[in-house]
Amino acid sequence: MAVPVSQMYTVTKYVLTQKLRGVKRYPLVLMLEPLFRCNLACAGCGKIQYPDHVLDKRLTPEQCWAAADECGAPIISIPGGEPLIHPEMPEIVRGLVARQKYVYLCTNAILLERKLDEYQASKFLTFSVHMDGLKDEHDLAVCRDGVYDVAVKAIKAALKRGHRVTTNTTLFDDANPERVRKFFDEMMALGVEGMMISPGYSYQKAPDQQHFLKRSRTTELFSKILSNRKRGWQFNQSPLFLEFLMGRREYQCTPWGNPTYNVFGWQRPCYLLQEGYASSFRELMEKTAWDSYGTGRNEKCADCMVHCGYEASAVEDTFGSLSGFAKTVKITLLPNAR
Amino acid sequence: MTDAKYHAPEQGSLAGRVFRPASLDELREAIELAFDYRGDVTVELKSGGQVTGYLFNRTATGEQPTIELFPATGSGTMTIPFSEVAAIAFTGEDTATGKSWEAWVAKKDSERQREVDRVEAEAKARGHL
Repeated sequence: MAVPVSQMYTVTKYVLTQKLRGVKRYPLVLMLEPLFRCNLACAGCGKIQYPDHVLDKRLTPEQCWAAADECGAPIISIPGGEPLIHPEMPEIVRGLVARQKYVYLCTNAILLERKLDEYQASKFLTFSVHMDGLKDEHDLAVCRDGVYDVAVKAIKAALKRGHRVTTNTTLFDDANPERVRKFFDEMMALGVEGMMISPGYSYQKAPDQQHFLKRSRTTELFSKILSNRKRGWQFNQSPLFLEFLMGRREYQCTPWGNPTYNVFGWQRPCYLLQEGYASSFRELMEKTAWDSYGTGRNEKCADCMVHCGYEASAVEDTFGSLSGFAKTVKITLLPNAR
Repeated sequence: MTDAKYHAPEQGSLAGRVFRPASLDELREAIELAFDYRGDVTVELKSGGQVTGYLFNRTATGEQPTIELFPATGSGTMTIPFSEVAAIAFTGEDTATGKSWEAWVAKKDSERQREVDRVEAEAKARGHL
């Protein structure tokens, strides 16, 4: 099983509680970005393009904990920038774990091995290592040779110390399905708990429609990758989200499912679009024109199928209907069943 | 998950331009451009002063629309009412210019290697590698 039972139980209980309370919009995963500074400069990365004085800003541990408390989501993903650069990251993580939040610390793993001593293994903490494919593809994507090997070494070291480790992978239209399947084999052979995958999508500032995965191309690509999948592959994602990527289910975006908090505040409406910032989570939820976003509603969202918008839609489907729940159970047990 | 790998084809950067709006609509337009800009801007105030910083937010509705900046020097944020803005100059380097995936791939190997080396050296100097 890709996710511990305790985590599944926590998420299930949380979602059902929201439903029983009649809460229409609830966050599932808080995307907490404590800094934008990174030790890589991947070509075209939309998160690191700021003046130095902005890149030097960091959220304090207190700000991070307050955001977690304010938001209430059971899962906290910490992307960046590179979170391991943040000198107070171990303290931030300790505080979140003390709150019994399931933390996914997203890292390129360059610093991971040397920082492992600063983190205590816990069922609440997972290192989510950014891996965009096999060595050639990954090193090209991050614009530096040798990063794949460093990451693999760090993954092994983390696993040896009893840490939970997953991978996260973004695929673009140049992805080779056979190479991606081989990559899955390699990651599972390393012993990672599960893998997360998502199609890449442009930031609003720069939608190059020539290269971004159109919806039809996305479903074609993911069908080739995920059809007839090997039983050993574990995905740290909703089974229905994978069905969505394969074009087998249709969802509308759930942008409030993955709210983002960073040095600018609460980002409207989602991780990918910057339409402005709210000063509180409540203001974000109450004063964002949610119905203006999503495929068919906003040209910026036309071809988006990214996890931050649609994973929560898949979870909502699982718990929103008996058929969705039954389908989830069926795919979990028989991933290749139609 | 990682960010988008592909960005828009290069377009003319706003770096170096100055907008001196003559109407509220023009002001709103200039502020939207500044909000999208990935470098510092210098806001000239009607009071005669000026502030240079990163414009990270704007609230265009309500009784008193405002912009919010991280000043380039000092800490904290600064909130400025629309009504106080006389001009906006795009004075900082546009950090998004030339950073597209296509631009990176199109570079000669030697240029790319130099860029990689420079980024690596900067990260090492900060103690991030």
